[in-house]
Amino acid sequence: MKSLIRYSPLLLLALAWEAASRLELVSSLALPPLTSVLAAWFDLLINGELVSNGWASLYRGGTGLLLSVIVGSTLGIFMAWWRPVNALVGPLVELFYPMPKSALIPVTVIWLGFGDGSKILLIFLGCMLPVTIGAFNGARSSDRTLVWSARSMGASRMRMLWDVVVPSALPELLSGVRTALALTFILLVSSELIVARQGLGYLIGYLGADGAYEAMFAVVLTVAFLGFAADRAYQLLMNRMLQWRE
Amino acid sequence: MSDSAQIVIDRVSHLYRPPRGREVLALEDVSLRVTSREFVALLGPSGCGKSTLLYLIGGFFPTEIGSILIDGQPVGGPGPDRGIVFQHFALFPWKTVRGNILYGLERQGMERGEREKRVQDFIELVGLAGFEDSYPSQLSGGMKQRTAIARTLAIDPKILLMDEPFGALDAQTRHLMQSELLSIWQRTPKTVIFVTHDVQEAVYLADRVAVMSARPGRIKTIVDTKFDKNDPNIFKAKAFVDKVDEIWNLVRVEAIKAQETRPS
Amino acid sequence: MAGVDAAAVKAMPRPAPWQALAWRLAPFFSIGLLLIAWEALARSGTFTPFVLPAFSSVVARIWSDAITGDLLINTGLTLYRAIVGFLISAIGGVAIGMAMSRSVGVRWFFDPIISVGFPMPKIAFLPVVILWLGLYDLSKISIIVFDAIFPVVTATIAGIKGVERELLWSARNMGARDREMLWQIVLPAALPMIMTGLQVALPLSMIVAVVAEMLMGGYGIGGAMMTASRFADSPGVFAGIVEIALVGLVLVKGMTMLRRRLLIWHQEANEPTTA
Repeated sequence: MKSLIRYSPLLLLALAWEAASRLELVSSLALPPLTSVLAAWFDLLINGELVSNGWASLYRGGTGLLLSVIVGSTLGIFMAWWRPVNALVGPLVELFYPMPKSALIPVTVIWLGFGDGSKILLIFLGCMLPVTIGAFNGARSSDRTLVWSARSMGASRMRMLWDVVVPSALPELLSGVRTALALTFILLVSSELIVARQGLGYLIGYLGADGAYEAMFAVVLTVAFLGFAADRAYQLLMNRMLQWRE
Repeated sequence: MSDSAQIVIDRVSHLYRPPRGREVLALEDVSLRVTSREFVALLGPSGCGKSTLLYLIGGFFPTEIGSILIDGQPVGGPGPDRGIVFQHFALFPWKTVRGNILYGLERQGMERGEREKRVQDFIELVGLAGFEDSYPSQLSGGMKQRTAIARTLAIDPKILLMDEPFGALDAQTRHLMQSELLSIWQRTPKTVIFVTHDVQEAVYLADRVAVMSARPGRIKTIVDTKFDKNDPNIFKAKAFVDKVDEIWNLVRVEAIKAQETRPS
Repeated sequence: MAGVDAAAVKAMPRPAPWQALAWRLAPFFSIGLLLIAWEALARSGTFTPFVLPAFSSVVARIWSDAITGDLLINTGLTLYRAIVGFLISAIGGVAIGMAMSRSVGVRWFFDPIISVGFPMPKIAFLPVVILWLGLYDLSKISIIVFDAIFPVVTATIAGIKGVERELLWSARNMGARDREMLWQIVLPAALPMIMTGLQVALPLSMIVAVVAEMLMGGYGIGGAMMTASRFADSPGVFAGIVEIALVGLVLVKGMTMLRRRLLIWHQEANEPTTA
């Protein structure tokens, strides 16, 4: 009940959408009624378009994000812990971090073509630096008395890196990954909209060009919902991993 | 005396180099001998380098001028022969009480069954039974410090280095922890180097108190403070009160000096 | 100095001056190394010039674009769209955030929209925006605002929420009225958070501007890169990357400097930067 009141504005928006379209306040071409959008969604689900394209997007996004988390966090922690690594890699990170990552779309296409490879590379390159910076800032802020405690209890330097520096970096590292997750969706959908033959972004563009606006809205809402759900699920995971805080 | 000294600090100076700004001579020409199972307090105003001296003994900073020998061996780095307890506990926040105490034992390669038993023993020793699975964020300051002490004692170091361990606790808890530390020390005697700026705490706990001067830190005097620590009325005993007074006068001069020379 | 001779202190190991210099030059070294490696790799023939055009040919391309004026038009247009979108998001976002903090009704309406909308990939709505608003600046700027406004709103709300009670009480105590409270106490106290939100919104504006240009074509760096890639003109594509990277770098650095200026009273010596 409480959540009903809380989320009632969304419900109102949905009703307004339906009414505006049904009463022809706006052209139903520009804004097809929500109910027809839902019907189109079921059609897409049944004819398999949603599942096959969704699967392609999931595979690209998941692989790219996973790679960026592995490489980015390793790089960030080593940068924080070994000064020469920082001196060499740090300036490059600082140079490339502010670059609008979407500019890499045509380059990854030149390198790897129109398929999965270029999307995975794009997401990997685009998402790596936020993770690297999160890991770096987290690892750099690890408390020296924790490091000393571990050393005086007999931990070797490598051991200490794993047992103290990595967990100390975790809160900032995980929030870097959250940024990367959001970027994954942005880069995935953009690159699929611009150059692809498969994927949810491609489906949106294809349906739009075809004039199938009900179906296009259905896929747009699906993507938006997936992004929202992924973020919520990630937050749950993050809170579990950081339950030792407070 | 030279044969029985376990820790020999010989003419140690230390130059502290901040990342920015001028270097500071934190310690100057400090010499001190500590015999096995002795309880020595390093007392002085804040910024006098007493913690620096402790970190040098611990091997966290390299000794660049002078030498520090432990059982005849120069200090090469941190090691499990010297356990350390910090003012702000330095517990691993992502590990439970049990996990924190287990950590050192795992690093020592102790076998599983023995490890578990030892952890339980030390949890009981410091009175934390029932809190084994709590995270540090769920504990009070006193409980955190008990955990830290148990964690350090569990690996059975020969030397216990304590860096203002009760400085972050409220007055009542501090009192309680002092007498508990004494009783633990009497049961399992170890060499203790205890850094503090609380005169009464130093006189109560230590066999000898090394009074340090303001920056650059030097040892000004070493005062003998052996009392019958089990006397419940010790804090009212005249000899004790006089001793606190005597040392307080020494420290006060230095504290005022430290105020004046402190860079703003 | 009893005992310690000055010679002993002098003899202590300390970094040689050339070492300090080496650390200082390291950034230029690694960037230089990257460029040299790029040039060498391109010239070695390991990759075709299509896959990896030489750095020198990319520089030549940027130079010739600069002479024809294309460089100015394209970067100017991209910057214009991104910055207009960013400014609208900044002003609108702070206004919505403030209204939500002050009025229960506004909060009731916007709260679910913000909390659901914030994590959504708004870029997916780009085709819808095109459908509604066409292919020109209006739709490009609209999608930028749609994306960049969310972090500003959430940061503003969090910033205002985080203002210390004691601060508000003492201001009231000294006789501050509502309007003064807002402008002189609440907003300055919330400024660090708001700036953080703006620092998220600015790069986001750039990312979305580039995507919008790529999809809709026309002038602008994104459009120019798509045209170049359609004609297999890879120096053109790489030139676009270099240009946009420099523009992004200048904007982000400028924002960091602005933050330092505005928050000079705020103790944050360690602003999250890399080096």
